[in-house]
Amino acid sequence: MPQTGMHSGPAGATAAADPADAEAVRRAAARVRDTVEGVFAALLDVRDRTAALVAGRSPGPAGLSRSDLAELRPVLFGYLGGLIAGIGFIAAPGLLADAPWYLEWWQEDASGSRVQLLRDLDPASSAFYDYTHWGWYTGPLEGSERTICGPYVDYLCTDEYSLTLSVPVTVEGVFAGVAAADVLVRRFEGAVVPALREVPAPAFVVNAAGRVVASTTAKWLGGSVYRGEPGFARHPVGDLPLSLVVAGTPGG
Amino acid sequence: MAASGSHLAVFAPVGATGRVDAVVRRLADAIALGVLADGEQLPSEAELAGLLGVSTVTLREALMALRQQGLVETRRGRGGGSFVRTPSEPLELGARLRAYAVDELRDLGDHYAAIAGAAARLAARRALPADVAPLLRSLDDMAAVSGRVAGRAAGGPSGGPSVDAGSAALIRLEGRFHVEVAAASQSARLTQEEIRSQADIGPLLWLPYGDADGHDEVTAQHRAIVEAILRGDPDQARDLAERHVCEAMERLIELRLAVD
Repeated sequence: MPQTGMHSGPAGATAAADPADAEAVRRAAARVRDTVEGVFAALLDVRDRTAALVAGRSPGPAGLSRSDLAELRPVLFGYLGGLIAGIGFIAAPGLLADAPWYLEWWQEDASGSRVQLLRDLDPASSAFYDYTHWGWYTGPLEGSERTICGPYVDYLCTDEYSLTLSVPVTVEGVFAGVAAADVLVRRFEGAVVPALREVPAPAFVVNAAGRVVASTTAKWLGGSVYRGEPGFARHPVGDLPLSLVVAGTPGG
Repeated sequence: MAASGSHLAVFAPVGATGRVDAVVRRLADAIALGVLADGEQLPSEAELAGLLGVSTVTLREALMALRQQGLVETRRGRGGGSFVRTPSEPLELGARLRAYAVDELRDLGDHYAAIAGAAARLAARRALPADVAPLLRSLDDMAAVSGRVAGRAAGGPSGGPSVDAGSAALIRLEGRFHVEVAAASQSARLTQEEIRSQADIGPLLWLPYGDADGHDEVTAQHRAIVEAILRGDPDQARDLAERHVCEAMERLIELRLAVD
């Protein structure tokens, strides 16, 4: 079962040479990819439904309002739960006719009930929540089709160590806002670590910046930073901004 | 986010003892020092009680005391609710400080320094450029606000509200800065503890210095903490963050000792 530490000499080649091990790495990467793609599939649905609402309206006082966005709720509720701890649409400032800033955002509270996240969205208020600085907003705004933010301490929404995934909502080429979802790191771990464990060597998932998301080794726990290490190799996870790092295997 | 980190702090759950007093003290500090702005609507009674982790009975009692102090106004009916009333007379710091025993301040400082130090140490080990970006933005925002405050102090008219908008903004930004350092540690619990410490003493602790030297010193401390995190120097980051809290608390205790 799991071999620990670095591999060297002829033994070090086993993980690389053994087709079964290469297969375990492939499967682990596929599990990570499918887990994340499942969340993105939900976001693409939210994106399309939001875009349809926006497309039906003209800008100005008769345009889209907060109550129109409430039509998204049955869809959002359908996706909430399991891996997704929070999901919704974040309007670009100025999109709505009746509010300069708005989030149609729902999350599960500690008891598992659905609650709408209400933040102060009055720009004149001292508590004003300016969401346009956050990576999950700037990523899609700047043209990224799929953004993965974090893991980070999400002290404004989940109050936990989380990932936020987001996609842009555009209508006729004009940016209307983002569809986004929060995934708690501990639930993400629960979804992918069983597959990582099948790899007979220390293995962990890192984001594009090198932050560890989930891991099978205490040396590289979620939250730590992987800056490259001799004896470890990165494997791509689909075309996502994530990698699977495995000890003693040649990179893909 | 803009200033909402400081609001989370104001509304974080209060401890088990003396709950009415604790709620009154916290909201009164936040209002008197401008962390909650004049005219701002407080969350509904049920929501606020839930946020603070107290019963609605406790909350109502606290709101009644705040109304008596003229810090909250409650309007009935449609569009009603409880609204913040910033006192028009100058801030009477002594009155605010009398609500805290010296021993209590010392203990709050010990606890807060431990949290801030541990968070800064981990931040220096774990922060990536994306985690430091909000800290740099907060430093810039603080510099912009103090520039405005200094400009007005030099030539502007005196008088006006008890707490000027500049010092209230600085308190909020200082709170935001410390929550961002804690979040850079990647620890949700340390971040929650940081928010709780701010709730307990933040508005008074981060009261801006009246003189330019004291202000420059605080600014230099912020920069040094960020630089130690950027350099990846955990020991230095911890020492600086601890000292930052300890010196602020020492100043507050000196002020407290001066009132009877």
